[in-house]
Amino acid sequence: MSENKKWYSLDLGLSKNKKTSSSCGCGKTSGGCNNHGTKNTQPTEMSSEDFFEAAIDASIGDERHRDGFEQVFDVKMDRRTAFKKLTASLLIGAGAVSTSCSSFAGDDTKEKAQIDWEEQFKGNYKLMTNEEKQGTINRLMRSYELRTGKNISMTAENAEEDVLFGYAFNISKCQGYMDCVSACVEENNQDRNSQMQYIRIHEMKDGEGFKFDNADDNYYHEVPAEGHFYMGTQCFHCDNPPCVEVCPVQATWKEDDGLVVIDYDWCVGCRYCMAACPYDGRRFNWSKPQVPENEVNKNQHYLGNRMRKKGVMEKCTFCVQRSRKGKNPACVDACPTGARIFGNLLDPNSTIRWVLENKKVFRLKEDLGTEPKFWYFMD
Amino acid sequence: MKTKNITSYLLTLLIIVVLCSCKQEGEYHPITDRIEAEGKNYHGNLTSDELLAGTELIKITEGDHTFLIPERKGQIKLFACIECHSKPVSQMNGLNEKKAHWDIKLNHANGETMNCTTCHNGNNMNNLNTITGKNVDFNLSFKVCAQCHSSQFEDWKGGAHGKKVAGWPPPRASMTCVNCHDPHKPNFETRWPSIYNTEKAKERKEDLEH
Repeated sequence: MSENKKWYSLDLGLSKNKKTSSSCGCGKTSGGCNNHGTKNTQPTEMSSEDFFEAAIDASIGDERHRDGFEQVFDVKMDRRTAFKKLTASLLIGAGAVSTSCSSFAGDDTKEKAQIDWEEQFKGNYKLMTNEEKQGTINRLMRSYELRTGKNISMTAENAEEDVLFGYAFNISKCQGYMDCVSACVEENNQDRNSQMQYIRIHEMKDGEGFKFDNADDNYYHEVPAEGHFYMGTQCFHCDNPPCVEVCPVQATWKEDDGLVVIDYDWCVGCRYCMAACPYDGRRFNWSKPQVPENEVNKNQHYLGNRMRKKGVMEKCTFCVQRSRKGKNPACVDACPTGARIFGNLLDPNSTIRWVLENKKVFRLKEDLGTEPKFWYFMD
Repeated sequence: MKTKNITSYLLTLLIIVVLCSCKQEGEYHPITDRIEAEGKNYHGNLTSDELLAGTELIKITEGDHTFLIPERKGQIKLFACIECHSKPVSQMNGLNEKKAHWDIKLNHANGETMNCTTCHNGNNMNNLNTITGKNVDFNLSFKVCAQCHSSQFEDWKGGAHGKKVAGWPPPRASMTCVNCHDPHKPNFETRWPSIYNTEKAKERKEDLEH
């Protein structure tokens, strides 16, 4: 397993099967010290001249054409090797710290430090194997338990085969009650301090069409208001998502079931995606999200409603923690008017397919080619 | 020589055309194409069975659509109705019995179009009836509604109107009309939104002041 990994994960001596490392103290992967040269395959029959050439190639390679400064600084080193070097040196330090402190620190503290350490250096979720996904959610659950004394249940279900999620919104039905918004906030553990909300319900004047500039998405009066209609926006889970395109660290991507998700632990908070989204679908945590302990939804998914931190992006995931278990997203269940339809676009008998095939559907800003999987229709 | 040149020229052109026409993996394409292509060999694994386990459901077939709806009679507190309505309504009128259903005010269409017996069978209170007087079981009350609300009925059958009981995977279980609409006053009432974003209001106010 560890052979196929695409990143370097920290080994704190928990797994005993140390592979014989190909790296050596010289700090180079392809030559640079004498230890590497002998490993190269040499044909048994070789003229002494060829052998000499091969030996030089193997030992210093490129470097015989370079010298001085270039040899020192222009080292071929990929990210993995760089991290290896970095963590190896950190490891020594940390090892020293943990052994020296062991007589004072409790087991919990040590375990917490260990978890934090492993979490700090884990890979991108997108590239993890199932075991590694399980590993990280186990750590996160344990970490939550150590910090708060409470248990949460976190899962890492992958996209199910033959599933492509789609959503339809009936503009004639929505009455602006905002039950969807409050259900979403509760389900997805959104920051109560900044009152973050994934869904916006826009109150628009009849007869003026879709004018988002003139629409009110934070009304407080009895609804439905005379002469107005209501429509909701959220992340549309585009099939050609511009937010994914612009992410410099690939912390956001499209899953096989069409959900556009974020690895909150990989996000660097540059907000490029927020700028790239033409639908105002993404939110940023300007401060540490606060959710009262008794209001935390403890059924979580790594890519969904688990607790975020300061400085990362988040957005609607079609309630990945629910939808991958076969449930409807919280907004769909909460809507009292039945304006929200959710289902599997690949299932020819699903209601969402019937809506797409039999109602006059449209999407927002279709000309951008983002291919949202979120359709609007009317009765 | 010339023909050879032309043939080779044409050949390269052909190859280029073929290469260009081949769609590359991950190339942008409309979602409808993707749905069609990937939905061809659909075989779903997930089911809603577990989510529906606690709900009493009955299977109905209307046109091309077969799906489940919640059972109704078991949910009506005072069913069966004939336990009180032992005689036809016309004979019970004017009797000095205790008043029941005094709180029900019919606010559905107007008095010229509808009264109690438009839906309820006055001679057999355990059943509803159609406009032409045919019995309709309380479990299948949507048949009564569908007589007038035909476009809503079409949408409901397809799944564009109404809510699901639970979950998106098959089997499909949809709420029936009376699960959301009170048949005696089917309109949704105006009310206050369930949430108001004070932070957003503050931001907006500050924006205006700047």
